[in-house]
Amino acid sequence: MITAAAPFPAAGTAEAAPVVAIRDAVKRFAGLTVLDRCSLVAQEGEILTLLGSSGCGKTTLLRCIAGFLTPDGGEILIDGKDTIPVPVNRRSVGVVFQSYALFPHLTVATNVGYGLRMRGVPATEIGRRVAQALQTVSLTGFEERYPAQLSGGQQQRVAIARVLVLEPRVLLLDEPFNALDAKLRGTMQMEMRQLIKRLGITAIFVTHDQEEALTMSDRIAVMRAGRIEQLDTPEAVFDRPASAYVADFVGASNFWNGLASQGRVVLPDGQGVPTALDGEVRVMLRPHNVLIEPAGADQAGWRGNVRFRRHVGALMEYEVELSDGASLRVVALRDETLARIDVGDRVALGLRDPAACIAFPRA
Amino acid sequence: MKRIDGADLIDRLGIGFIIALAVLALALLLLPAVIVVVMSFDTRGYISFPPVGFTLDWYVKVFNQPVLVDAMWTSIKVGLYVTALCIALGVPTALACARGDFRGATALSVFVLVPHMVPGIVLGVAVLFSGALLGIGPSIWLQSVSLSVYVMAVMVRTVMARLQRLDPLLEQASANLGASRWQTFRIITLPLLLPAILAGAVFTFIEGVDNLSVTIFTHGYRDRPLPIELLAIVQNSNSPLVAAVSSVQIMLAVLALLAISLTIGLDRVNE
Repeated sequence: MITAAAPFPAAGTAEAAPVVAIRDAVKRFAGLTVLDRCSLVAQEGEILTLLGSSGCGKTTLLRCIAGFLTPDGGEILIDGKDTIPVPVNRRSVGVVFQSYALFPHLTVATNVGYGLRMRGVPATEIGRRVAQALQTVSLTGFEERYPAQLSGGQQQRVAIARVLVLEPRVLLLDEPFNALDAKLRGTMQMEMRQLIKRLGITAIFVTHDQEEALTMSDRIAVMRAGRIEQLDTPEAVFDRPASAYVADFVGASNFWNGLASQGRVVLPDGQGVPTALDGEVRVMLRPHNVLIEPAGADQAGWRGNVRFRRHVGALMEYEVELSDGASLRVVALRDETLARIDVGDRVALGLRDPAACIAFPRA
Repeated sequence: MKRIDGADLIDRLGIGFIIALAVLALALLLLPAVIVVVMSFDTRGYISFPPVGFTLDWYVKVFNQPVLVDAMWTSIKVGLYVTALCIALGVPTALACARGDFRGATALSVFVLVPHMVPGIVLGVAVLFSGALLGIGPSIWLQSVSLSVYVMAVMVRTVMARLQRLDPLLEQASANLGASRWQTFRIITLPLLLPAILAGAVFTFIEGVDNLSVTIFTHGYRDRPLPIELLAIVQNSNSPLVAAVSSVQIMLAVLALLAISLTIGLDRVNE
């Protein structure tokens, strides 16, 4: 139902039966393994994001769920039923494409009513449901326009309405914001999330943009080389990345090479990061977790020289060269003291919260 | 007066040169047709230019000769048959070449070009002999089929070019919305291909109406098409009758183009 705000369980609740379950999906193209025993589960009403760089298999996985591709192995279940034998036009899966793929020779109303027409729904009911769907995406009055007469944002809303009108079990979104300019993108992300949440639809969303993933998702699946590297809430993926790859991909990270012994790594400022590892490690230091201040004549402690700085709105971002030649990114809210730090200045560094640092084995 | 420096002068000369070339090209394209039409109104009994008077007698004569009227109908029929065959066979071939996922899809798209690259006379002789082997004599049907083979490439290429620029996601979106392959073809692909099909149809129709090289070997002796009659008149006389018949042929081509421009617009043909 488009208008009924279906109640949905909180994301990730264990007791709800999964809407989509993928088990050990494998897909190869000409000998290249694009999906490598990939498994994941999407719960009722959640927005799950497949996040990864190009070539990680995220779009391939989406196309397998939609039925445009058939996996070479593994299972894809929707509501517990094997979906692989179901032909593409019989799946209860709605896809919003990156280019929207609106039919250029059909009006907005005909585009939105297309799926209902294919299902043999009577014309009067098509009219009613199309009007309702267009109202949901605030496009009432645009019925007789053609796609070329709409802005990018409006086209996207038509693409969404065209899919939502069919009340699909799963909504698949393939980088739907790519074609929009930066300013509109932020607004549409917010609107899209609110709309999907209001309708209570289970959605799987593909993007390479980590900020978009953090904004849109209930949970994020970080993909790498055809596998899920980590599947967790945006907060957990950001604060407790499962691997150095995730730490690097989601949010900017510094990596400091150190030695772990007796359950901790001692950082240059003397604070210890707890770890179960032993020996050579890389410690993730988020740029906002590093403190920076002008260094006095005192040469003791963690020191560096500012190599580059820039203003990012209310923030200051510095690149600091350490004595061993490595460099460190530091981000801080701008204030009087920070504004005085210039390129070439010597600075003292420290850690705000050692518990927020994570040690990974050195590759 | 504004001073014109060297670079400016060269720019102007360049533009002037391009305009001159364009005018020359246009003249070469249009003048023969214009001269033929003008000569067809001459009052003298032999072909000459410029005309000395104006009369419609030659047209009256053309339409009073049952042989010529029949030839016109035959040519129009051939044009329609050729067009129908090219649509019926060329559109599926284009779909197979552009969308098909089989070995030899590229080879097929090159293969349909071959008859068009063979000289028409060679194709005509070949069709005549192979028709004889199969027991099919020269006829309006043999002529239509051989002309279809000859110009099929135009239809296939035009439709393929359109297909290749058509977003394949449209067809996937249609399937995702529940459409069968046939529904997708009928409601999405075909309407979007229509301008290309009509553009192809104009060319195949015109080729069917006025091709001589293939026609000369394959036409039926009872259904003599217009180009054959025209050739016969030219060989035996030099009256403006020839010009009048040619003008009728030019009119047929213009009408075909006009039909397109009134239905889908000439500018959309090359989309």
